[in-house]
Parts: sequence; C-alpha cells; structure tokens
Amino acid sequence: MAILDVKGLKKIYTTRLGGNQVQALSSVSLSVEKGEYVAIMGESGSGKTTLLNILAALDKPTGGEVILDGKSIWKVKEKEMSAFRRDNLGFVFQDFNLLDTFTLQDNIFLPLVLAGKDFPEMDQRLKPLAAKLGIQDILKKYPYEVSGGQKQRAAIARALITQPKLVLADEPTGALDSRAADGFLKLFNEINEDGQTILMVTHSAKAASHAGRVMFIKDGEVFHQIYRGNSSNKDMYRKISDTLTLLATGGEDNA
Amino acid sequence: MRKLFYPKLAASNIIKNRKTYVPYIITCVITISMYYILRSLTMNEGINSMMGDASIFYMLTLGCRVIAIFAVIFLFYTNSFLMKRRKKEFGLFNILGMEKKHLGRVIALEALYIAAGSIVLGIAFGIILDKVMYMLLMKLMGYKVPLGFYISGKVMLTTIELFAAIFLLIFIYSLLQVQLAKPIELLKGGNVGEKEPKAKWLMAILGVLCLAGGYYIAVTTKNPIAAILLFFVAVILVIIGTYMLFTAGSIVLLKILRKNKRYYYKAKHFISISGMLYRMKQNAAGLATVCILSTMVLVMVSSTSSMMIGIESVLSERLPYDMTVYMNYDSSYEEGAEQSRKLRGAIENALDEKGIQARNQIGYTYLAFAGLRDKDTFLVDSSVNDMGTGDTCNLFFGTLDEYNAMTGADKMLAADEMMIVGNRKEYDYDEINLFDKTYQITEKLEEFPGNGVIASNGASSYYIVVKDSQVIEELYQLQKEAYDSEASSIRYCYGFDVDLNHDGQIELYGNLYDVAAENGVSASIESKADMGYSIKSMYVGFFFLGTYLGVLFVMATVLIIYYKQISEGYDDKERFEIMQKVGMSHEEVRRSIRSQILTVFFLPLIMAGIHIAFAFPIIKEILVVLNLTDTTLYIMCTIGCFAIFSAMYAVIYGLTAKAYYRIVKR
Repeated sequence: MAILDVKGLKKIYTTRLGGNQVQALSSVSLSVEKGEYVAIMGESGSGKTTLLNILAALDKPTGGEVILDGKSIWKVKEKEMSAFRRDNLGFVFQDFNLLDTFTLQDNIFLPLVLAGKDFPEMDQRLKPLAAKLGIQDILKKYPYEVSGGQKQRAAIARALITQPKLVLADEPTGALDSRAADGFLKLFNEINEDGQTILMVTHSAKAASHAGRVMFIKDGEVFHQIYRGNSSNKDMYRKISDTLTLLATGGEDNA
Repeated sequence: MRKLFYPKLAASNIIKNRKTYVPYIITCVITISMYYILRSLTMNEGINSMMGDASIFYMLTLGCRVIAIFAVIFLFYTNSFLMKRRKKEFGLFNILGMEKKHLGRVIALEALYIAAGSIVLGIAFGIILDKVMYMLLMKLMGYKVPLGFYISGKVMLTTIELFAAIFLLIFIYSLLQVQLAKPIELLKGGNVGEKEPKAKWLMAILGVLCLAGGYYIAVTTKNPIAAILLFFVAVILVIIGTYMLFTAGSIVLLKILRKNKRYYYKAKHFISISGMLYRMKQNAAGLATVCILSTMVLVMVSSTSSMMIGIESVLSERLPYDMTVYMNYDSSYEEGAEQSRKLRGAIENALDEKGIQARNQIGYTYLAFAGLRDKDTFLVDSSVNDMGTGDTCNLFFGTLDEYNAMTGADKMLAADEMMIVGNRKEYDYDEINLFDKTYQITEKLEEFPGNGVIASNGASSYYIVVKDSQVIEELYQLQKEAYDSEASSIRYCYGFDVDLNHDGQIELYGNLYDVAAENGVSASIESKADMGYSIKSMYVGFFFLGTYLGVLFVMATVLIIYYKQISEGYDDKERFEIMQKVGMSHEEVRRSIRSQILTVFFLPLIMAGIHIAFAFPIIKEILVVLNLTDTTLYIMCTIGCFAIFSAMYAVIYGLTAKAYYRIVKR
C-alpha cells in the first residue's frame, strides 16, 4: 500500500513584480510504499526543495495532488494544517533547526508539548529513542554545546518522537563531516529497518546510496529511478554515479 | 574621486542604517536642545531679576547637571546598541580588505557627521523652544514676557563643549571595540551571548534584600525631616535592588518554574518560559532601566504636579493672613504681654492713619517647643532636637482666655486640664504626660489657629489650650531647663488681612517694620505678597523641572523600548521560522511571541507601580516638609499620572511592536 502518492505535481513561481514565470515543477508523479526508504536526487535548481516543501505542506502546488495515507493533504483546513503536519510528518533539516533557547531534550519534546502530551508520556517515548540514537547523556545540553553529529541525532529524535507516518529529510548530511555523515546514514538505515518510511532529498551520491530506491529529478520532472534490489551500497553508489554522469553530460540525447 | 571615498562611505553607512540611526540622532538632538534650553534659562536675566529668590536658579542649575549626566549614560547606551548591530558590517569591510585604520576613519567620519548634525540641529531647536519655555515659566509665575529672542553665546559654547566631549568619548569607545576585535569576532558580533544564563542566587537574594530595605525605609519613616535624608538612601537601595532583581531574580524565578515539569511542559508555558529566560539575560539591564526611568518620571511628575495644583492651599496654610507679625517675649510674661499690646496698638494706629482697614484680625500669645512623642507621653530633652528619627512633634500652647476670645466660645479648664487639636495627625489619647505631670484632655478641638511659622514646621503640631498664663510660664521654665540655649521663647502672633494690591502690600510690609522699630520692639513680619511669591517660585521651579526632566526620561524610555523591540525582532526571526517548520501554526507562533513580549514589556511598568506604591508614604512626608499636606490630592495626582503614563506606554508598545512584526515577517 502506498503511504504517499503524488500525482502530476506542478509548481510555477511568479516573480514578485508580475512578469516572469518560473516553472519549478512541471509534472511530478511518484509514490512511496510503507516502510520504504526513498532518496530524491537532482542538481541545484532541479526542483528538489520545491518538491519537499510541497510534500511538507509548507508550500502550495499550482496543480496536482499529494495524498498521504489516503488523505489529500491540501484538503486539510488551514487551521488544522500545523497539527496535521505535526502528527503525520517528521522533519530532518540540513542545518538541524534546533532552537537555541531549549536543551536538546526540550527541542525533542517540542512537537509533543505542542500536541498537549503530558510529561510522563513524553519521557517514556524519549527514553528508548535516546538510547537508540546514543544521545541519552547529552539531553540536558544546549545545541551550541554539542557537535554537529549530535545535533543531527537530536533532530532525528525530534522527527521520530511523534511516530510520524513519513520522515522527510532535506539534505541531512549537508552540514556534517564524513564520519558524522556515515554514522548518520547508518542510523537512518536502522530506523528504516524498524519500519519507518523515509523520504530524503539530497545531492550526495553517498547519502543516496543508502536508500532502497533513488529517484532523479531534472527540470521539474522525475527523470529516472534506480531500485536497490539486492545490490550492496557500493553497487548502488556506482549506479547512482553513472546516472549522475549521464544527467550531467546531456542525458536527454542518450535516453 | 579617491579622496571622497571615505566621506561618501560614511554617509551611505548612516543612510543604510537609518532604521536605527534616525532614532539615535533624534535623541541626540532632543537631549542637546533640552540641555541648551535649561542652561539658557539659568542665564536668563529676566528670570533672575523677576524671581528675587535664588531657589529657582539653583533648581535649574541642578536640572542642567542631571541632563548632562543623563546624556553621558544614555548616549553611551544607545551607541553601544548601534555598534553591536553593526559589528557584522565592520567585519565584512575588514574581510574585504579594509584595514582597521580605514575602518577607524569611517567610524570617525560617521561620528563627526552625527555629532555636527545633532549639535547644530539641537541648538537651533533649543533657540526656538527656549523662548517658548521662558514664556511658559513666566506664565506659571503669572508674568507677561517681552517679545524677542534671547540668544546667549556663552550658553551655546558650553553646550557645544559638553556634547562635543560626550561624542568624542563615544567615538573613542566605538573605535576601541572595533580595534580590539578580530574580524571573525566582528562577523559574529550580532550573535554572541546565546548561552544559557546562570542562576545567580546570591545576587537575586541581595536584590530582594535591597528592595525590601528600600521599601522598609520608605514605609516606616514617619519623621519628615529624616524622610528627606533617608529618601535618597531608599532610592539608591531600590535602584540597586531593581537592577539585581531584573538581572538575577528573574532568571532564578524562571529556572524554578522550569524545574516544575508539570507546569513547564504545557504548550503555553513551554515556549514563553524558555524564551523569556533567553531574553532576560540580554534585556535585564534595559528593562531595569525602563523600570527606574518610569518610576522617576511618575514620582517627579505626580509630586510636582500635586504641588502645582495644591499651591493655593499651601499658601493659605503657610501664610494664613496678608500680614503676620511675630514678637518674642524677652522677659517675663507680663512685660511681654504689655509690649505686645503696645505694638498691636501702634500698628492699628498706623493703619488708621493710612486709611487702611485691617480685616480678620487675630492676636494670641503662644509657646511652642518640640517633644518626642511616645503614645501619650512627650519627652522633652536636649536630645530631641538632635535626632532625626522618631515621632518628633511640635507642642503649641495657648491660654484659655485667648482661645475663648478668638473663637467666641465659653469653655472652662482646671490647671491640670487641656484641650488639644493636631494639624496633621489626630491625638488619640485622653491624657498628656509632660514633664512628669499628667494632664487630662477634656476636649478634642476642631480648629487649629492660623500660624504660618507652626505650619511651616515639617513635624506635626498639636495646638494645646491650657488654663492660663501661669501654666504657660511653668512650661516655659521647664523647657528652658531642658533645652538650655536652644529653648523657645513665648511669642505673640498678630495677623490680619488688608485690601491692597501687591505693591501696596509690599509697601505696607516695609512700613510695619518701621512701626516696630519706632516702638523699640523687635518683631519678625511676614507678608503674603512678599513671601508667598518666593514659595510660589519654588513650587513653579519644582513643577517646571519635574515635567521637563519627565519628558526627557519618557523619551529615553521610548528609545530603549524601540531598540529592544528591533533587536528582539532580529533574534526572533529565526526562531519563528523553525517553530513553524516543526509544526506550530503561524497564528500559534504569533500568539506565543506576542504574549512573551507583552510580559517582558509590561513587567517594568508593573514594577514601577509597586515602587510608587511603596514610595508613597515617604514622599508624602517630604511633601509635608514643603508645606503640602493634602494627601488626597497627592494620591489623585499619582493615580492620574500612572493612568496617563500607562496609556502612553501602551501606545509606545503598539507602535514599536509594528516595527517588530515587520522584521519578523520578512
């Protein structure tokens, strides 16, 4: 069963002074199965971020439909949108987006507090999660006191604590050094193995090579996709590199 | 072309940063012109010649000093805010290849533009408004002013000197900040200080103690003379306490709230507590300053305006008659009484000769000395005059005969009986113990006889009617033994009204001295026309200065609030975005930030209200020293001022909040 269904998504930006129209997405259709780990790749300006913003309900599409767990997200009322987003989606960002005014623990609790959960329940949810992510000893620290890798782990915990249907990750390894990035990707695989559906946008071939399926976006359309099947991360990486080369050297002629 | 690079860059920098620089320049201009005006008023010949009394001159000079001190502190504060905002800009210039000495040049040019511009504009406005202020002051005194401008080169020079020096100091300080920092520190300049504030328990406790001490002094000081001295102690304690409480106490309190998990992890409290914790550290000093300034404005304006409103009743109490003659009995009671009759007769004759009719005549003999009251016992001994604390009272004795004559009553008293009335406080007991003797109070009287000298005494007085002159003479001897050289004499008071204009009264006032001299009697004479004028000039001086400085402090408050909102806007912008991404609706974020600002914003006002409530008793005592005994009037003035100030504060909030939302909304 598809947990996320995107049909003919279209987005046109109009520059502020009227005039120019820029087409960010021309027609994107994709679907993500429950428990899948999908990576979306593309160069800067390919429409990745626009797609993610629309999936995250932060931006409205010009046309097309996004169906999450059988429900069209643009049918949700404006007022309930934040709550809907909070309950169904988890976010991991490139620059972590942790609030400096909160300890890591409080940052992780934020969505639950907003949802009106009480402390014992929050604590109960956090304990196994923190142990799994290896952050139980730094929960009382503030974001500026810990490393980038640790911040990203806290951000993952914040995304997962609401037990969302889908985790959206925007370039999550972008601000991490290679060792922290490796640790992060391993963690994401483990989370996926536990049954969490993940959609990750990235332009790092290495990050994408950990996913179960990789989709390539070019000029606002899904251009190509690769399934992992039984191949190893290394094989995946090679396939992705080949595709990227193809894309960069003018894939359209050869396709 | 190259020559003009730095001047142009400096000018464009100021224009680019106009959102923060325009309020700063306006503040400089206003401060300079206010200083100029006050300085010019002290030099104004018209004021000096018309107000024979020097009190207004001293007050205005004091006001100049206050403005000068204020200017140094306040301009430094606002400039440091500006520099903090601009560090990033300087860091960028530095990285793009500008050396520190070039940066120094840019800063110097900017400082020069601002200093020159504000001084020129400030003095220009000063010259224009100087006349208005002069007319206002004269109008308050009831005078007309000749037309024409009064421009003093000397005043201009002192103003330029003072502010040039202040701007130079500010420039040196800015320069040092840039010179001492590394480029990377400059780049991060706007973002430093994001650490979690530490809870400073000791400081918080000290703050509470200081505040409690200040409040205690204010509430318990009952003696007006001591009140003036202790008032400043209380003010300093409260200022220190406020700063400590805002910087440390607020953080301690918020941390305690955060420890309470059930309270803290509620959507409403979660964001506001953490946000305030973060905000308090940055803004505690600013908030404490706003609180202190608001308190000062309220105290100054409410007390001086109640003086201005109450001036007529003060005059009628201090100077109950147009003319009052006081005469000391140098020898025995009989001889004194004889002399006083002679003087009164001579004065009446002199008035008759001039065809002046004396109305509302009153004449009585009295003895007044100080005593330290403990319930119904008055301690009279030489220590009473020295000590400032305790309930020092003035005892004011008169005879039954004269009382009956004055009031037309027909009362009777025995030698150990008395009748009493207090001018400021009721006497609640049935007996009086004085010099080891006990007197019975037969009656509490209604009316206190008019006596300006007694009224001008800051301590509360009791008018006590005794059987006859013999009792008075006994008391006189006893207090003479107790006080020795500082003992009081028995006096005669003779007062009356006349139907004469101001000049006529002044003339008569001189004549009365001649009459006394001709009769070989030494007397002191008070004329309402003469003395009332100097009292009025003192009151007007207080009122003028109080409102004048009030306006200045309100301006400072507005500016601090404006800068606070702007800097918070930049800080919140990022948080605002993150919270939305994590799942707060636009409206929720707005509401939470709004309630947070509102709390932080109105905290100083609430605190100022508490300060004023506690200051009330001591200010009441001080006003009594200044002859203003109408407590109800003062209460009304305070409430009125607080209401007006709160309304103004809310308007300021509304306006600055707009600037805030414009930043946050992108």
